[in-house]
Amino acid sequence: MRVTPGVGPDLGLDNRGCMDLCFDPSKRNFLRAAGLLAAGMMVPQLRGQRRSESTGRDGPKVLLVIVGGMRRAETFSREGLENIPHLVNDLMPQSRFYLHMQNAGVTAHFNAISSILTGNWQRVDDWGKLAPTTPTIFEQFRKGLRANRSDTWMVASNKALTNMIGASSASGYGPEYGANVVFPKQLMLLAVEEALRSGRTANMADRARVEAELESALEGSNYEGLGWNVFDAADQLDPRVRGSIEAAIAGFVHSGGPTSGDELTFFMTREVMRKFAPNMLVVALSDVEAAHFGSYAMHVGGIRTADRIAYQLWQEVQSNPDYRGKTTMIVLPEFGRDPDGSTTNGFFNHRANEPSTRDTWMMTLGAGVEKPEFVERTIHHIDVCPTVAGLLGYRPLESQGVRLKEFHV
Amino acid sequence: MVTADQFAHELQQALDRDVLKRLPLTFLPFVNEQLRRWEFLFPNERQSVERLLVYVDGLSDAQSTALFHDVVELEEKMGVRHWHFSTGEQTIQNSSLLARSSYFQEWRSAVQEVFDAADKHAAQTNAGAESARNRLVLMGIPRRLPVNSNTWVRWQGIGRPVALNLSELPPGQTSLEALLPSLESVVSSGSDSNNPAARNVTASASADVWMIDAGKSLVEAALPPVGKSASDSAFILLSYDRLDTFRGNFSRAMNTMRKDLSDADAVYDRLRKVNVETWCPPEVESSAAVREYVRALFLSGNGAVIFGNSFVQWGASEAFRRARPYVLTAQFGVRDKPKPFTGVAVFDNPNEVNPAPAVEDLPGSALDAEMLSLYVWLSALRYNEYQSHTACICIAESLEQAYVIAPDDFPSLSAQAPVSLAHLGEVLRNWVAFKRA
Repeated sequence: MRVTPGVGPDLGLDNRGCMDLCFDPSKRNFLRAAGLLAAGMMVPQLRGQRRSESTGRDGPKVLLVIVGGMRRAETFSREGLENIPHLVNDLMPQSRFYLHMQNAGVTAHFNAISSILTGNWQRVDDWGKLAPTTPTIFEQFRKGLRANRSDTWMVASNKALTNMIGASSASGYGPEYGANVVFPKQLMLLAVEEALRSGRTANMADRARVEAELESALEGSNYEGLGWNVFDAADQLDPRVRGSIEAAIAGFVHSGGPTSGDELTFFMTREVMRKFAPNMLVVALSDVEAAHFGSYAMHVGGIRTADRIAYQLWQEVQSNPDYRGKTTMIVLPEFGRDPDGSTTNGFFNHRANEPSTRDTWMMTLGAGVEKPEFVERTIHHIDVCPTVAGLLGYRPLESQGVRLKEFHV
Repeated sequence: MVTADQFAHELQQALDRDVLKRLPLTFLPFVNEQLRRWEFLFPNERQSVERLLVYVDGLSDAQSTALFHDVVELEEKMGVRHWHFSTGEQTIQNSSLLARSSYFQEWRSAVQEVFDAADKHAAQTNAGAESARNRLVLMGIPRRLPVNSNTWVRWQGIGRPVALNLSELPPGQTSLEALLPSLESVVSSGSDSNNPAARNVTASASADVWMIDAGKSLVEAALPPVGKSASDSAFILLSYDRLDTFRGNFSRAMNTMRKDLSDADAVYDRLRKVNVETWCPPEVESSAAVREYVRALFLSGNGAVIFGNSFVQWGASEAFRRARPYVLTAQFGVRDKPKPFTGVAVFDNPNEVNPAPAVEDLPGSALDAEMLSLYVWLSALRYNEYQSHTACICIAESLEQAYVIAPDDFPSLSAQAPVSLAHLGEVLRNWVAFKRA
């Protein structure tokens, strides 16, 4: 008899009986399948580009791409490689790839991302009601180097985040040193809500009118309902940002491509890169979280979208003169997902204390990577923060995480 | 509210002797909620609570302290007594507090050990003896869903594919609908009248035979004929499509939820109490236990409100966990593609927020069904009752194949010549009807 008292019917106790659909134990097969080092370095794509309106900081830059929960089984395993063609074929050959990155903290969105950003395992409210308790990368960078707010941005699709992710509750730090935080997907949700309320849903079926609906949502809500935090403007959108958002919306609507939350996040991120060229830019993608609703096909679709967007961001890094040659890009999942057969309903969730949920990977590219290589030792999500500090050139605060020794300061 | 005479004598005695006072804090939300909702529990769930409380009641103080030692110690480390922790019912706030504790996994293990001890005791005293019967998990993926020819690889050789001859399947009918008469002929004797925990529940709540449908055709084929009450059905019948009013009302409420735990608990509390009878089709409305099962299913997430195939998988998983049915039949179906721009609003009715015509996602639905059919079987396997004497048949009509996982004494189905549905029906009828000594 297996019965779970205490915490709800989906918090079972027994995670045994899982099928081993995880990483192909033969690394040789994996490397062969991945075409390791077969392709040469990618030729930077040149594109005419205006200079950004950043504060003029020319120093090193870090682009941190955090994807929601993805198992090794659907990514870097023999069966999963087909879902990540860009990571495998276009980016891996030039990357320093960490085979095992362990999330040893709370495998929920707000806590996972805030642990990555602070270098300490955070155990705060899962719904983003509380800020991380120790200073974020953004605060450390801004305070350490007296950087402007426009040098630190976070663009996120993830609904589990709030603007509390941009700054901690630590004394001496906090919102004064926080990042600009925007959630483009919230804009889409708001537009749907408002179209429904005002009887204009027909507009949501017409690509030509969707742009107006999205802009109306931005305007009409007085921007409060979005949960953003940009340039300390609590009740109105900073005029410096409006143009970027409008450009992002136009690109998103008229691209003719997919229209998911992550797509809008990509367009918004690219506009932020072009307009503000922040030194520290964090992107959080969450289409993969369709898994919570049980659609495996949509979850895998989300992985493919994340794979493509990561590649598109790298292309932007290569073609944007503010980023080319001085940017380190880091791509990692927040965590995996639960194993098939777990009491937590397998890929739907990410709560099991199992390797499938905790053991992930990390890919690093660009300026901080002297040579492509695989790193086999296990690293942790909390190691990202002190490593980024080294890349950006400020002294990190003491934390549970350690700087990855492959990155030379 | 449950009345005292609904409890078995031993359980009532244990409660009268204040057995609840001997339980650790983190056991109380679950146990109190189960006792309060006794009339809505399936027999298997009643047995579980009964076994635990009767077992604890029979222990000396020293034995009881030893049994809960690890749990209590972990509660101390977690600081549970300083939390805003409900002991009356399970809340999202409770779950959140437990899940973010660094001792959460240890606590889970310690709790499981307590239940294992209670089960072991019940087995030794024979109080929980199972009647030995063959069980069946029968799943169908209709022909419209183009199942990948490599799909069985996912099952990792735990069974084998068998060719089916579906040439006699009438157009518009699924193989499960065609097999229905074979099952109906034996399941009417399926309710376990020897089970003491089943004595105080209605026939449908005895929960021996379940049918879960991502659409409605299978359930409608199984409904009692006109003139008979829905409660006369030998099956527990759950149709995603026929529950659309129920789902719609739940989705709207969930949409109003702000990003706040207390708000989520408030919404969930409202949804736990709201009268759902008028939202139910007759086959659900007629049984309080089934009504409450559907409510709990929708409240527990996992996509049951959003997608038909998720409803089937999660519904089956919860049926195994809560009711341990002898026969469970599950039919997968087709979902639509998310509509452009409005697909992000998952709790909204896609046709209300976007008048663009719905487009079926046949390949995506097939992939969902391939994965979720495996999950149905894996969820059954978590329980001892399904680890022997259980046959699992998953029919992929587009492949004209069934994947068969069965014990050695299951009748042989030819691996060469395609098996007709008539023959398969006969094999399944005999399998389910057979009672072991």
